[in-house]
Amino acid sequence: MKKILSFLAAIAVYVLLFYFVSSRALEKTTDYSVYLNYWRVILDGWLTTIAISVVSLILALVIGLVLYLMTVSKWRVLKYLSEIHKTIIFGTPLIVIAVIAYYYIGDAFNIDSKFWVGSLTLGLYIGAYISDIYKGAIESIHQNQWQTAKMFGFTKYQTYRYIVFPQVMTSILPPLAGQFAMTIKSSALLAYMSTNEFLNSIQTIQSISFRYPEGFLIIAVGYLILTVPLIFMVRTLEKRLNYKVAYESIN
Amino acid sequence: MNLSINNLVKSYGGKTILDQMAIEVEDIQVLALIGASGSGKSTLLRLIAGLEAFQSGSIKVNGHTVSEISDVEYRKKVGFVFQDHNLFPHLTIMENILLVLEKVHGRVREEAILEVNSLLNQFGLIEHADKRPHQMSGGQAQRASIVRALAIAPELVLLDEPTSSLDPILTHEVLNAIKLLAEQKKDFVIVTHEIGFAREVADYIIFMEDGKIIEHGTKDILLKPQTQKLKDFLNKVLTFVNEM
Repeated sequence: MKKILSFLAAIAVYVLLFYFVSSRALEKTTDYSVYLNYWRVILDGWLTTIAISVVSLILALVIGLVLYLMTVSKWRVLKYLSEIHKTIIFGTPLIVIAVIAYYYIGDAFNIDSKFWVGSLTLGLYIGAYISDIYKGAIESIHQNQWQTAKMFGFTKYQTYRYIVFPQVMTSILPPLAGQFAMTIKSSALLAYMSTNEFLNSIQTIQSISFRYPEGFLIIAVGYLILTVPLIFMVRTLEKRLNYKVAYESIN
Repeated sequence: MNLSINNLVKSYGGKTILDQMAIEVEDIQVLALIGASGSGKSTLLRLIAGLEAFQSGSIKVNGHTVSEISDVEYRKKVGFVFQDHNLFPHLTIMENILLVLEKVHGRVREEAILEVNSLLNQFGLIEHADKRPHQMSGGQAQRASIVRALAIAPELVLLDEPTSSLDPILTHEVLNAIKLLAEQKKDFVIVTHEIGFAREVADYIIFMEDGKIIEHGTKDILLKPQTQKLKDFLNKVLTFVNEM
């Protein structure tokens, strides 16, 4: 009960603070009618954001795995290729990569679909981060387990399939859910390549109605609806991992 | 078991762990490797298991030449009990054992379950079959790892200081399980600090120091050691036990 009251109090403080700032910064009259008129466009944009995020994350999971396997490969060329890709991604703003990908790389390979260029760009970008999530999780599997698998005659594939991945999957779920929230937010930058996602659709309405503050509020709420459940999911998953923590404390 | 080791050399990063080791033993059931920490006993056991490569020399187990890391078929016939039980933490005890039997040995699940149940029963673990390793005591988990090693019907079982991370009560519990191995006439090699236990179950003992075999022979060497080094080692161990 005390917990709920504290939570409600925190919400109230936040709302008051928000009201205080908005009453000073915004015009007295707000008008959402134009956004209501264009609800279909907004919904389409919002759904496109979800679709781009899901497709990008799936691509990123595969790209991340490929990058990880390249990193641990016997062939140094592959290892360096993966490292170069990751270094470029980690050191460059997504917006720059998105613009280059769409206006130059997309053009060079005659890819017109904004959806696919956008998803692939995000996939390549997030994939670099996910490859490090895989790396951390796989390296956290204790050396003893690799050795036990080897001693009992498991092949490399069987070791990954039955021993490493089931454990890795549980430990990467929380960071992956976090990464998914990141993907959703990052997808807003694809507005710069004129993809008709959520941000772009609102910006279009803003430019014809000049109702900017209302538009930004809708954008914030639209993204929060998607990301807040993910944040709660991350916390729940982290709690469920306690068997692993218990195991490590014994050893 | 027959074991033949010739001029075995193993080194890590310039440090020699096993130095020109040679020994030949024939027709023994239980071999105990004893010696102070860092004497090379566990390394020797891992080389016998084919888990690691060595620089030179040879190891023959029952006529089979152990050829380091790629020897998968040989390892399938050798059960290994590690210092820490090394059970897979995401699987129950039953799943831990079944995984090896099904995936590596191609056994039919239903038959394998019956066999594993019977083994778990023998080792007093049947009520723990569906527990994960972290839900059991260290002694129970170590006994479960002995069952896993036995379940593959090995020609030879290797035990690497199986009681070193356990308290005296759990040690007693695990040693009783190992005695059961001896009673079942399983051939095994055990690295141990439990000298009394070695004297009780082993029919051949190898005493090592600094990567060399100092003395070896039947369990009588523990009662009448011939070398000063073994005498000193036994004195230290016995003083320690008496002080406890």
